[in-house]
Amino acid sequence: MAEEKVKLEWEINKKTSWLGTSFKELYLYKDLLFSLVRKEFLSSYQQTLLGPFWVLLQPILTVFTSLLIFHKIIGVPTEGVPPLLYYLAGITLWNLFSDIFLGTSITFTQNVLVFNKVYFPRIIVPLSVVLLSGLRFLIQLVLFFIALTYYYLAGKVVIPVNTLLLAIPVIITTAGISLGAGLVFSIFTAKYRDFLGLLQVILRLLLFVCPIFYPMSIVPGKLKWLMNLNPLSAQFELYRYALLGKGQFTADQVLYSGLFMVVLLAGGMLLFNKTADRLVDVI
Amino acid sequence: MIQIENLSKLYRLGTIGSGTFKRDLNNWLRGIFRKNSDSPARLRETGENAFAGKDHLWALRNVTFDIKEGEVCGIIGRNGAGKSTLLKVLSKITRPTEGFVRGRGKISSLLEIGTGFHADLSGRENIFISGSMLGMKKTEIKKKFDEIVEFSGIEQFLDTPVKRYSSGMYVRLAFGVAAHLEPDILIVDEVLAVGDAEFQKKCMGKMKDVSHQKGRTILFVSHNLQAVNNLCSKAIWLQKGSIHAMGETQMVVNRYLGAFQKKMWKREWGSPREAPGNDWLRILSVELIPHLPNPMAPIDIRTPLTVRFRFHNFNNQIHLSANLVLFSLAGDCIFDVPSVSGDFNEGVVEGECTIPGRFLNDGSYYFSLFFLKDTSRTIFEYEECLHFDVEDHRENIHWYDKWVGAVRPHFPFTLRNGNVSNNGHGALDTRRHLL
Repeated sequence: MAEEKVKLEWEINKKTSWLGTSFKELYLYKDLLFSLVRKEFLSSYQQTLLGPFWVLLQPILTVFTSLLIFHKIIGVPTEGVPPLLYYLAGITLWNLFSDIFLGTSITFTQNVLVFNKVYFPRIIVPLSVVLLSGLRFLIQLVLFFIALTYYYLAGKVVIPVNTLLLAIPVIITTAGISLGAGLVFSIFTAKYRDFLGLLQVILRLLLFVCPIFYPMSIVPGKLKWLMNLNPLSAQFELYRYALLGKGQFTADQVLYSGLFMVVLLAGGMLLFNKTADRLVDVI
Repeated sequence: MIQIENLSKLYRLGTIGSGTFKRDLNNWLRGIFRKNSDSPARLRETGENAFAGKDHLWALRNVTFDIKEGEVCGIIGRNGAGKSTLLKVLSKITRPTEGFVRGRGKISSLLEIGTGFHADLSGRENIFISGSMLGMKKTEIKKKFDEIVEFSGIEQFLDTPVKRYSSGMYVRLAFGVAAHLEPDILIVDEVLAVGDAEFQKKCMGKMKDVSHQKGRTILFVSHNLQAVNNLCSKAIWLQKGSIHAMGETQMVVNRYLGAFQKKMWKREWGSPREAPGNDWLRILSVELIPHLPNPMAPIDIRTPLTVRFRFHNFNNQIHLSANLVLFSLAGDCIFDVPSVSGDFNEGVVEGECTIPGRFLNDGSYYFSLFFLKDTSRTIFEYEECLHFDVEDHRENIHWYDKWVGAVRPHFPFTLRNGNVSNNGHGALDTRRHLL
């Protein structure tokens, strides 16, 4: 009997682990990860005329809308940066955040049918959302650099070569916060659909509490605390500082959002791993 | 190989709403102070039978069994017996409440066909998506791509979105992907319920291949008992979440059928007042006597059936006859057999009719008895007096679909080799048959 026990490779029981699946198992499913990314990417452009161009078209249209509203009508200052560049930077980073947050928070509700019929490490699904959103973001980043080069050649901006690489930690922190929040929300939305409605409200609120269409410098002193509380604020300022050389932030704020990211992401991952295998009974 | 020990799964019933939220909070708060206040262990102590309270249900309860390597195991049971839950636990989709499963080898489960298909994408893309979702590697799918396409016969439509496929094509493609999985342990749930007969045959063939030639372990849930009989070496009968019977397939399937056949095989009346009848006659008893090899076996198409009835005739000097009429459950008349008529005086009259085996098709049937005077005037109709089911039985036939026809008589029917000359064996055989 003892001999036989040794030969057994796996066990299914009621315990779920905080750490979830091993990296070895995740690695076994790496093809699934890429095939999910491919599936989502391809399927979002089926039966469209412009196809993948929507990746670029969407931010361009948003930029022009905000140009009209915030620049022409309201007249929000853009710290001497051409407004188009200013908005493009903010909007692409925001898209990254909202894509990941929305995409991951509906992990369970969107995939009930699949989760009910086949097993794979559930974390693959949110990871595929992150990869896909990252891919979209990179494409949009190229668009940003094209615009930046244009304005540079026109002599309207200076490219801050020294700080450009600072954008990388900003992107990672923003993606981390949105993934962490998305994972936590995915568990809530799985059991209580009320959170799906809440999601939209939160996103809309955040959109205006983040310095996307306006600089931190014009926020009145009384409301500064709200901006400081938002871990994303510093990231947007830092991002513009890195790419355009204009931004207002303190080391404390940056540290705060970095720490916020680590805690939220770790917490979200652990919670997701612990509950994912049980949620199938309630979705 | 798989070892399953004391596997139990508890489901909470009812909808999720404010009530559940309150309870969640409650449990959570109590859990902080006292551990596991509403734990399954406690529920198990309180619930004596299969149901633990009115808002909980044990979908599986203390299920223990082993499956050896290369064994093909069929799981049967009525709807809600826990078959699908068992497969879900085994394929890691849901966690057991108690107990564990241990095993060796890679498991793939086919609980549905076309899992992960995206309607907007082409057949080609979907092969890769579905394949990887079922646990195949990209290189593996590439290697088998042509085989899958050939199996499903959709070459022409590879680049068409699957939403434009006919349902048959869709199913073929979906099964094509699944059929090319190469796990050590395959878990299959009712996939044979889809597709046309031709395709079902293909699927069964594929599954036989996998189990016989490649020596894989298969767990197979199906309502198609013919398929279970044909494929499986071992069967498990689940009832209300527990194992009711387990062992050699034929034995388990027979017991299962025997238990669920719609039975109204015998009716007797103590006093004539309650008995059906009229001024002409009163029925005393009707009985269906199947000639079974053993009492546990179900009635199948090979079983000869005898109908025996007794009635009290109130008239003297009457010319009586009876008709035994068989109807399918749908109400179609299968046959109407008249008895020999005769003259009777007041007293008890007995009747008996035997239907040979290998005559009826499988299905549900009922008998009606008609009594006639002077072979023309109906004096009493006793409708739906006996109910019974006839189960299917097939030997050396690789056709798993429903056998058509109202009856399924066993007539001599042979095929001969036409190339043999007239004075060869062919002629001899004919002569022998005629004799």
